[in-house]
Amino acid sequence: MIEANGLTKVYGAKTAVAGVSFTVKAGQVTGFLGPNGAGKSTTMRMIMGLDRPTSGSVTVNGLPYVRHQAPLRQVGALLDAKAVHTSRSAYNHLLAMAATHGIPKARVHEVIEMTGLEAVARKKAGGFSLGMGQRLGIAAALLGDPQTLILDEPVNGLDPEGVVWVRNLVRYLAGQGRTVFLSSHLMSEMAQTADHLIVIGRGRVIADAPIKDIITGKGQSRVRVRTDQPDRLHQLLTQRGASIDEPERELLEVTGLEPKTIAAAALENQVMVYELTPLVASLEEAYMELTKDDVEYHSLPAAEVSK
Amino acid sequence: MSSTTTESLSSREPAPSPAGPASRNAKRPHPGPTFFRVLHSEIIKFRSLLSTLILLASTAVVMVGFGALSAWGTGQFTNAATRDPQAAARMASQGGDLAISAPTSGIAFAQLILGSLGVLLMSSEFTTGMARSTFAAVPKRIPAFAAKLVVVMVTSFVVTAVSTWLAGLVAVPILDNYGLKLDMGSSQSVKLLLVNSIYVAAVAAIGMALGTLLRNSAGGIMSLVGIFFVAPLAFQLIPGDFFKEARKYLPGNTVEPLTAVQHVPDTLEAWQAGMVLGAWVVVPVLLAAVLLKRRDV
Repeated sequence: MIEANGLTKVYGAKTAVAGVSFTVKAGQVTGFLGPNGAGKSTTMRMIMGLDRPTSGSVTVNGLPYVRHQAPLRQVGALLDAKAVHTSRSAYNHLLAMAATHGIPKARVHEVIEMTGLEAVARKKAGGFSLGMGQRLGIAAALLGDPQTLILDEPVNGLDPEGVVWVRNLVRYLAGQGRTVFLSSHLMSEMAQTADHLIVIGRGRVIADAPIKDIITGKGQSRVRVRTDQPDRLHQLLTQRGASIDEPERELLEVTGLEPKTIAAAALENQVMVYELTPLVASLEEAYMELTKDDVEYHSLPAAEVSK
Repeated sequence: MSSTTTESLSSREPAPSPAGPASRNAKRPHPGPTFFRVLHSEIIKFRSLLSTLILLASTAVVMVGFGALSAWGTGQFTNAATRDPQAAARMASQGGDLAISAPTSGIAFAQLILGSLGVLLMSSEFTTGMARSTFAAVPKRIPAFAAKLVVVMVTSFVVTAVSTWLAGLVAVPILDNYGLKLDMGSSQSVKLLLVNSIYVAAVAAIGMALGTLLRNSAGGIMSLVGIFFVAPLAFQLIPGDFFKEARKYLPGNTVEPLTAVQHVPDTLEAWQAGMVLGAWVVVPVLLAAVLLKRRDV
């Protein structure tokens, strides 16, 4: 079980993760979906104690990762297929990792066999294809036979056979009662692998629901709000955990709050609202929207430069 | 099977059993990274890189080569001097001094190679991304840093000591040709071998600290060259008493007072030199350890 509470990471002027809270439960595959740059990898590095949160906290099986007595036996992670010294062989890489926890050589051979790396295990990891690198990363994650697995974009660069292999592997591991948390920027991949989905965009959680609810549109509550005080309402709703888009002046598209909560917030603070419409959209649609916004967001500085 | 093991261990961790951790460890081996396991891991990492083995071998080659060259040069020099009776008198004593330093004459290059090795062992962790694997396995980070430091310093010491001894073996017959005696077993020879080997281990530690602080191979090696090669020259060229005085405190100028038979003017006392060299190791290493613990990987 992974529990994040108000997890925030700020790099200089950029907020990569903005107060994210979620729970990843054991016995199911939880997908972590978001466009590139949404904060998925940063969140995963914070879970693994590699990046220090600016604020907030995250625990794995009740303890911060750093405080576990045998971290590799608790959590296995594939954070980056290139988290390997390029001049070292795959076998020696795994052997050195295993040595830190007194994991026997037999287990190293076992994970090499499980991931189909026998033929290249003695070759330098720097010469590996992206797919082979992913398999080596997964092998390293499995070394300690951990209760929790964190896989950042595991199917990236894999051939179709490899994609199916990862899908079956994570389903099998979750079936054994383990916690599996896996990220992707591909909605279609998630639909086939995950039981539960956490969607993240621009460092905020946009949706957190079982995959079947999301596919039927139930998990998605977006509300269109028109008001003559958009800035004030924006602030009020953000405080209540909403994620907000402003497609035009005086129009807010609010995700993550019920219409009733929005109306109550406006009433309490005497903000006039002249439209309040619940929107039903499939996740695919919402996700495409999000990705589009993300691209626009990136191009904004360039537009500012030309002003 | 193992999942139940990890579960029971993790549930005990926040509230250790009343019997205490020692008795718990006695019953069941520690499941996680103990210092010796991390050290073992660092040894595997060290020996599984061809580049480190090449650097170690080239240290030996350079030390033996310079030892032989220096013995030959000393012999030629002494030979030429004996034809001039006045110089001969001076050379009689000095020739012996020159001969005894022949085995360690390549030390400037050994320190550069092994110091760079110190830089590379840590900087390559960051440039290749290996650091994420290393510090995920040892999230407390300091044990991994300490283990790597032990590997770097012990290896540098042993390689320098063995290379110096080999250089001596090669130098003795060459010097013998010119009628110069070198006794590798004399206390001064042993002192030179030990002090220089400790010194090179210290340089490797400084290199590793630089590699940890800068996380960049080129930057780390350039800083090392700056401290050991550029600064002594620059300090000599800049006029003024301050730089003349400061030059004594550079790490590269601590070896002479530590190995001299008598105190050499314009150098530190031996005990001062030992303290200065120690400070040059301890300060960067502690700084590197503190920042490694605090910074993101």
